[in-house]
Amino acid sequence: MPGLVEVLEAHGETTLVVDTPRLLEAAGHLRDELGFDFLSDIAATDYLGWDSKDVSGYIGTPAGRDLNKPSTQGHQRLPRPKARRFSLSYHLLGMREGAPRVRLQAWVDDGEPVQSLVSVWPTADWHEREAWDLMGIRFDGHPNHRRILMDDDWEGHPLRKDYPIGGEPVRFSGEE
Amino acid sequence: MAIEEGKRLRDYGLQTERLLWPEKGPGVFEQEVAAIEQAVGLTTLAKAVAWAQTKSMWPDTFGLACCAIEMMSIVSSRYDIARFGMEAFRSSPRQADLLIVSGRVVHKMAAPLRQVYDQMLEPKWVIAMGACASSGGMFNNYTTLQGVDKIVAVDVHVPGCPPRPEALMEGIVRLHEKVVAGVPPAYEIRGVSS
Amino acid sequence: MALAPERPRIYEGSRIPSPIPSVLELSNALRSSQDVLTVNFGPNHPSTHGVLRLVVDLHGEEVVGLAAVVGYLHTGFEKNMEQKSWWKAITYAPRIDYVSFQNNELVFVLAVEKLLQIDVPPRATWMRMLLAELNRIHSHLVWLGTAALELGAISMFWYCFRERDRILDLFELVAGFRMHTRYFQVGGLAEDIPPGFFDECAKFVELMPHAIDDYESLVDRNQIWLERTQGIGLLSRADAIALGQSGPVLRGSGVDWDLRRAQPYLAYDQVDFRVPVYQEGDVYARYRVRMEEMRESVRIVDQALRRLPGGAWIADDRKVVLPPREELHTSMESLIHHFKIVTEGFSVPEGEVYVTVESPRGELGCYVVSDGGPRPWRVKFRAPSFVALEATATCMRQALVADLIAIVGSLDTVMGEVDR
Repeated sequence: MPGLVEVLEAHGETTLVVDTPRLLEAAGHLRDELGFDFLSDIAATDYLGWDSKDVSGYIGTPAGRDLNKPSTQGHQRLPRPKARRFSLSYHLLGMREGAPRVRLQAWVDDGEPVQSLVSVWPTADWHEREAWDLMGIRFDGHPNHRRILMDDDWEGHPLRKDYPIGGEPVRFSGEE
Repeated sequence: MAIEEGKRLRDYGLQTERLLWPEKGPGVFEQEVAAIEQAVGLTTLAKAVAWAQTKSMWPDTFGLACCAIEMMSIVSSRYDIARFGMEAFRSSPRQADLLIVSGRVVHKMAAPLRQVYDQMLEPKWVIAMGACASSGGMFNNYTTLQGVDKIVAVDVHVPGCPPRPEALMEGIVRLHEKVVAGVPPAYEIRGVSS
Repeated sequence: MALAPERPRIYEGSRIPSPIPSVLELSNALRSSQDVLTVNFGPNHPSTHGVLRLVVDLHGEEVVGLAAVVGYLHTGFEKNMEQKSWWKAITYAPRIDYVSFQNNELVFVLAVEKLLQIDVPPRATWMRMLLAELNRIHSHLVWLGTAALELGAISMFWYCFRERDRILDLFELVAGFRMHTRYFQVGGLAEDIPPGFFDECAKFVELMPHAIDDYESLVDRNQIWLERTQGIGLLSRADAIALGQSGPVLRGSGVDWDLRRAQPYLAYDQVDFRVPVYQEGDVYARYRVRMEEMRESVRIVDQALRRLPGGAWIADDRKVVLPPREELHTSMESLIHHFKIVTEGFSVPEGEVYVTVESPRGELGCYVVSDGGPRPWRVKFRAPSFVALEATATCMRQALVADLIAIVGSLDTVMGEVDR
């Protein structure tokens, strides 16, 4: 398979990590040679702050998880650090006996564009627009590269980890 | 007519839970109404008009999210809002009296909501149905409007996520009682431009 | 911006618009014509099933250009779920697809259980399947009532909602609330099934096939219904797969694909049901698929009722599941577990999973990434309605304005899950 970097197997699922510049080739290979004709989902994930100490998951000492503390509940290793900030997971399905599924994964940094897969699976159109809108990942070759869920003039990409949750502080009547 | 001294809303026929607690003094709502300077005189004719307004207050089809499904079920035969003359949900806001904002309002939808509200003709009432319309509900975030009363003047808030059809009907009945008692629609009280 | 290299079309004869698959653009001949009117089917429209905005170009009565604008209900579910513990995040899930609410809960809970590698007792599995099928009937009833209402068969609304209220009564009996029941818990069900449920559900199973007969007698051979739905909104087999369609839209286009049979989850491999498939690819085919799915769902509910196993309703893993209350008085460990689960929440091992179920609209997927902590790192829901709206442009070829309503109705979109 073109551009394959590694194959991960976990929880019964196969993840194929590919080199980002060869994503389009890999997608074509998966669709034509391996028969994954159905693109189920494109999920973009932001890993900013993944292994830092003050995000969720770090209970116990400021230095991190303490193996002797009962609250670690047996999950005693630090999360594997990620090489780049964003991962794009393309969930593919082959519509045949056995329903084979695979996750095609590409890693990008902030500002790095990715090739659009609209020419391979037309359904990628709106999924990529959503990834651009909410995560700020650019897709080269996307015919309609616009925001889809937020307002057209919205600034920022809401689902990034450095974008605040927003909202209002809740006022309680007793405080007055 | 402001509320006369010593009289309370229930003396004007408004049935609320205060009926069960007669010793309770006037609450914030009643004091607020008493402080209204522009009084609406309720002559016999006005009383008749108010009564008629409640008997066929047509809602606008403004279903947004989950609450819309429960709003649809008050039209169904079990909860039957046709008893109140309200089964005619108008699609055009120009023909509607009541705007039941059912569902979460996000910033992108706030402009169409305000536009629809503006297109309605006076007198018009707004029910904020559900927790999301009343206060943003469980979605305290960058995109959800924390309560639709930030942009329109709300008469009745109905709590619930989603409120049962009976709860929505209770809200509608309370609104009717409000109107019959002579309370002006919310845009006059709140001073929100309409 | 570099352009992607040219790839051949998906297949010859594809009706997917180009270059943008989801936007039907004016042909060059019409572009300069004075007769094209751009109409906005705004977010507030009685027939757009929620807050969908369609910008439509009309040449007389014919739709020659179409673009869908969504985002009017984007509530930020995914970001909110990242802030809450795993337990609390389940509460957000049913409000995404608010018509088939328990399917969303199901997919999220299945994803968390897959990461936790926890075994769910069979009683919970069968009950989940039963409720998921009741939800499918509920969703199809709401669809039928509103779709028929839009096409003018107004009285269908009341008939469908009569049975829908019966299903909501069943949900209320089981979980205490009509909609958004929050009954599925990580590890099983939140509470045991109340004893009165089985009789009530059996009564419902008895009367539902007759109700479906009623609906069919009203519209199935109605000349107006047939003229308004047959031959409208054609979507070919290959286009449907290329556009990522699933569920009744896919099965109405002749693709025999159902996740309940192809990758059985819960206990679907142990019950007997048929998957209806129709070849025509029009609105009528999708309508028939949903009607027959309702019948098959009643059969599944019936089988599940009779074969529901006894036993525990939730897994026994005290690190994740609350211990029974009686134990709290005697066991110190249970008290500590209860305290830890309620205050800090349980932690889910690091990893990523993607779980899919067959919701009434198609393939509903949930992608969960965990960093090993008590809160999700990323939750993404793959919403079938989001993808169905991409197909509007393809289905809308040579459609009239009246057909537009029928086609959008037949795609059965719920804007909550489109916008999340």
